[in-house]
Amino acid sequence: MAFLEIDGLKKRFGNVEILKGINVELEKGGFLVLVGPSGCGKSTLLNTIAGLENITEGEIRVEGRAINDLHPSKRDIAMVFQSYALYPNMTVAGNIAFGMEMRGVPAAERQAAIDKVAKILQIGHLLQRKPSQLSGGQRQRVAMGRALVRDPKLFLFDEPLSNLDAKLRVDMRIEIKRLHATTGTTIVYVTHDQIEAMTLATKIAVMRDGEVQQFGTPAEIYNNPTNIFVADFMGSPAMNLIPAKIDGNGNGVSVVLDRESRQPIVLPMPGAPAGLSAFKDKQVIFGVRPEALTDPEGAERNGSNIATADCHIEVVEPAGSDTFAVTNLGGKGVVARLRADARIQPGTSTPLAFNLSKAVFFDPATEKRIL
Amino acid sequence: MSAVTSPARPASSGASARTINRIVIYGLLALFAIFYLMPLFVMLVTSFKTMDEIQNGNMLALPQSPTIEPWFKAWGQTCVGLTCAGIKGYFWNSIKMVVPAVLISTLLGALNGYVLTKWRFRGHTLVFAMMLFACFIPFQSVLLPMATILGSIGRFGVTLQNATGFNFGLGNSTVNLVFVHVVYGLGFTTLFFRNYYEAFPTELIKAAQVDGASFFQIFRRIMLPNSMPIFVVTVIYQFTNIWNDFLFASAYAGTGDVMPMTVALNNVVNTSTGVVEYNVNMAAAMIAALPTLIVYVVAGRYFVRGLMAGAVKG
Repeated sequence: MAFLEIDGLKKRFGNVEILKGINVELEKGGFLVLVGPSGCGKSTLLNTIAGLENITEGEIRVEGRAINDLHPSKRDIAMVFQSYALYPNMTVAGNIAFGMEMRGVPAAERQAAIDKVAKILQIGHLLQRKPSQLSGGQRQRVAMGRALVRDPKLFLFDEPLSNLDAKLRVDMRIEIKRLHATTGTTIVYVTHDQIEAMTLATKIAVMRDGEVQQFGTPAEIYNNPTNIFVADFMGSPAMNLIPAKIDGNGNGVSVVLDRESRQPIVLPMPGAPAGLSAFKDKQVIFGVRPEALTDPEGAERNGSNIATADCHIEVVEPAGSDTFAVTNLGGKGVVARLRADARIQPGTSTPLAFNLSKAVFFDPATEKRIL
Repeated sequence: MSAVTSPARPASSGASARTINRIVIYGLLALFAIFYLMPLFVMLVTSFKTMDEIQNGNMLALPQSPTIEPWFKAWGQTCVGLTCAGIKGYFWNSIKMVVPAVLISTLLGALNGYVLTKWRFRGHTLVFAMMLFACFIPFQSVLLPMATILGSIGRFGVTLQNATGFNFGLGNSTVNLVFVHVVYGLGFTTLFFRNYYEAFPTELIKAAQVDGASFFQIFRRIMLPNSMPIFVVTVIYQFTNIWNDFLFASAYAGTGDVMPMTVALNNVVNTSTGVVEYNVNMAAAMIAALPTLIVYVVAGRYFVRGLMAGAVKG
């Protein structure tokens, strides 16, 4: 039995179904990230776990006990909001202690709890200030302190970093990860940022239009996306999704990528995987991540299936740590990720290595994974 | 302004045009200000003059031998109708009416605004629209129905008096006026608070719910402490309206020693025995106007913006 179980959860507003049957579970001490584009229902799902929204169907269980009919304050949860939602009329200490005050915890005990949390988050010097006198990062810490002080079964984070500037966001991301590692709490975290999802999660649920597209570990989601949406959404730069044709010759198959005014690239797929053979002479979507399309020297040496082809480079983007090269395959711009010192010029042809053991294939009609 | 928006114009003509603009604008403003302040000035100087001076002198002239005697007379001795004990009793009548009426209508308006924005229910827009209707009702049209209702309440008070020996204030003129002003103030106070709370971050309410605060705890601990600007606006508005009300006051408490200040002032001026004591009348009028002035001066200081800063992202 998992620690948090969401079972067939549906949410309707009138006739509009916002959540269409969500099934997700999380082990104790896990870090579940709900990720997806805006309007996919991830925040609504979090609010139903918090009890701020009612559910239409299904069940939410914590440690086997259904909580979906309990008042938010009775669910033993704490929530960090996107806007931090600090009470502007109270000091930092008052904000942190408000929940305990509402539950009638004696003042001495409250003070001890405030001090403990202030120590963890290093906000001891801010306790007597009002939220308006704090910087964005400090407010974020106070909001986390307000959640931490309750020592709840479950932490809920609603896009907590989206109001911070880029550098602070990275710092706070590490902070949250460290907090999770040291306190061993169970966290459900909503974000639209796939990097946050990848770096923080032990489990990711990728959502779209009120449905979970894929649920798994970050590595599963990244390496084995179940459909085009997940493949495209996770990863930066995004996965190259190239229209291709499967060509069968005898008992082997190969992937044919069209190019403008050039010979098509033919990539042999040894062993003729069964899934691909069924698509012989048909169109597929060939997915390859930028890091699996690189210069031959930089290619993974022990990759079991690497094919090299000359490609015409249109744009070169040196990013410091890597160099990105854009070529055109199957009528689409395709990004390759090269070593930082790769000698490469736009407008020239250069050999690129396709790591086919990392490549994935999708059916263009159903958008589902073939192989 | 025009010089700012069209910087391409030649500097010299732009500058002179701007000067002329300024002169016209400030000249007009000064004219309007004088026009508006003139009656107040006349009232003020007249209230410090002796009767001789008023009868023989210029209305706009400053008092030759200033005296505060008219103020004392207005407060303690002048005749209101047939009783000659000054206006002080009526002044307190007004205070006793206006303070509860303002506080109750403001708090109820805040509660309505809180429910209509943060605890929405099916048909909340309809309820709000109907409450707004109260802002557009001409008060003359409700005089008779309200009189009937107040009559019924009064009779119920008598019944209670007979049954329990105490009428719970029902039928009392001041209580009646408080009731009337609360009912007819609700439309405005609800409108004010509803619009203010519409922009109030809902995440604060959610956070308080997760923290375990109840409906009224959220109202008292989160909403009210962060409503200072609109609270002050509403209090000023309601205080001015209720204090200055003459229609309801004269209709439901128009005689005897239950009259509010406005009705009493009218009776002071209308007393037709002997010489018309303009200085006393003016002093009485000034006293009647003072509380609203004081509310503006005192409450206006708290009318500060930016109290919500820091609630949500900076």
